[in-house]
Parts: sequence; C-alpha cells; structure tokens
Amino acid sequence: MNKELEHSFVTNLEQNQNIVHKVCRIYTSDQDSHNDLFQEITIQLWKAYPKFRGDAKFSTWMYRVALNTAITLYRKSKRSIKTADLDTINFRIKAEEYDDEVEQQLKLMYTAVKQLNDIEKALVFLYLEDKSYREIADTMGISEVNARVKMNRVKTKLKKILNP
Amino acid sequence: MDELELLKQDWKKQNEGLPKLSYDEIYRMILKKSSSMVKWIFIISLLEFSFWILLEIIFRVNGFAGEEAIEKHGIDNNVIIPYTIFYYSVIVFFIVRFYLNYKKIQTTDSAKILMKNIINTRKTVKYYVWFNICFFAMSVFSLVIYLASFTTFYQEQSDLETIPVKVFVISAIVSGLFFVGIVALFYRLIYGILTRRLKRNYGELEKLEV
Repeated sequence: MNKELEHSFVTNLEQNQNIVHKVCRIYTSDQDSHNDLFQEITIQLWKAYPKFRGDAKFSTWMYRVALNTAITLYRKSKRSIKTADLDTINFRIKAEEYDDEVEQQLKLMYTAVKQLNDIEKALVFLYLEDKSYREIADTMGISEVNARVKMNRVKTKLKKILNP
Repeated sequence: MDELELLKQDWKKQNEGLPKLSYDEIYRMILKKSSSMVKWIFIISLLEFSFWILLEIIFRVNGFAGEEAIEKHGIDNNVIIPYTIFYYSVIVFFIVRFYLNYKKIQTTDSAKILMKNIINTRKTVKYYVWFNICFFAMSVFSLVIYLASFTTFYQEQSDLETIPVKVFVISAIVSGLFFVGIVALFYRLIYGILTRRLKRNYGELEKLEV
C-alpha cells in the first residue's frame, strides 16, 4: 500500500475529524455506535481517497462520503439505546453560558432533531454546517428548489415537535 | 429568534467538546475491514450466484431423477445443447451486469445516485434468482408433463401403478409452487431486513422530486 497516500489521508482526516464526529453525533445515540460509525466512515473515506483529486477542499469532499455512509452504508448496531436523556447528554457539552430558558430550548431542539428521519437529519446537519442550498442539493442528489422546500418542511416539523 | 438559528449558533460552539483521535488511532482504523451494507450485499450476491451454479453442476455430475427417462424417450442433444447454451448465456449476462452495477457504487456520488446504484445492483441479483427459480420450475414441469402426456414413463414405474397420472402431475406442480413460495418468503425476510432502511430513505428522496 502506498505509504505516502496513507500519510496524507490520515493527516487530512486528523485535521478534519470534527466533521465526522458531528455526523456521528446526529446519527447515533451512544458512544459505541458513535465509534462504530466513525470507524466505518473512516474506511469509506479511505477507500474513496485515491479518487480524491484535490479539486475540491478535503472537508467538502468528506461531507458527502460521511453522510452517504451514515444514511446508506452503515448498518445500525443493535446496541444503540434509544433514550432521549442519553441523546441530550451526548449532544450537549457546554451549558454554562446560557440562561436556563435558552438552555431548555436547546435541549428540546436537540431531542427534536434526533426524532427526524435519516434524510431530514442530513438536511439539518448540512444546514447547521452553514452549507448553501446548492451544496445541500448536490450532496443529496435533489434539486435546489426541492432542498429549500424540504428544509422548510423540516423546520415546520421541528416546530411541531417542540410545540405539540 | 428562529429555533434553528439558535441551534446553529450552539452547534458551532461544540467543536471544543468533540473527541479528538490521534494520528495512530485513525491509522489503525484504515487497516480494519468495512462492515457496510454494500459489502454484505456483495457477499450474499456471490453466495446466490454460486448456489445456483453449484446446483446446476451437481445435477449434471450426479444426474437427476428424470435423466434416464430423457434418454429413453427421445429428448436428445438437439434439445439439451440449445437449452444449456441458453442457460449459461443468461447466467453470464447476469454476472456481467452485476459486476458493472457493483462497480458503479461510489460513496462520492450524491446520496440519491448512490442509493439508486445499490438498489439496481440488488435488483440484478433478484432477477437472477427469479430467473433460476422459473427456469428450474419450468424445466421440471415440462419434463413431467412431457413424460406424462407423450410417453408411458409413469405407467412403467411399478410403484406408481396405483396413482393416476393426473394426480402425479398436479402434485408435482403444487409441490413446485410450494418450493417457490418458500424461497420467496425466505428472500423477503433477508432482504426486507437488509434493505428496509435503504428503500425508506430512497423513497423519501424520490418523494421530494415528485
């Protein structure tokens, strides 16, 4: 195996690993599943790496492979425990700087996001990562108009979950 | 403020709290084997291809129940050779298609195209299995019907003496259908589990484009 390729891949991924961790956070609910998914995304990124030509940023390229792995290739492990409490614990890291009301609202938001389906989660994730609708549409393979329409529906759905 | 905007602000702050893997930890990960759905589909597909091919070879090597009757009752090489050529050409066609479809599966495609390519690869194997079941069933049925209608094969079998030919043909068809039913059920279960999520997600993306 090409040592140089390995080195450049691992260095790139080490620097950009936050993207993969964030995908894992959205799609898994416990540490074991998080690690499993991280492992699988790393393998898929590595397999696709020889075709990465550097005409896009490494991070941009990563979003696609990481999300594709999470939505399509990854087989959910039976271990994943579905408890809302655990979700929020996993999700929320820093809390000190918010007041109680905002803190409460954020907690509810994270729990609501966890209730979305795989595709909706992908849209929300890309939205939270500040991606344009063009990029969201390209990543998902839908038209830009439909990406906007779907995102608005997701927003409405989240509002409904938050205010039943 | 929009709730999602609030979430966005918080989302950006979470970087500091994320796990940090070292160079070595990531390096060890790339040495491990994937356990993705595509890999499972590939393994199962290879098993399916080999199963039917092996079954065919076993029949050819060991002979089967009707072989003697075939020879005795005038089904000669003029029938057997085209039949064999047809069968193997179709098998080769399926294997080539499967390979081409499998090659198309790329994680760097958009989510929708990736899902579509996986579904197409899966479909090739599904059609392959159905082709085999139908081909197998039709061969057996036509042999049974041929032997029953145009020859005295069944009358010659002393242990079948008391059973009317019609009953024998019908029971062969019923048990054939039963066998097909069992395979179909087994199939639905395995692929139902394996591709349920894929189909649901693909459906979700398709729905958007309508």
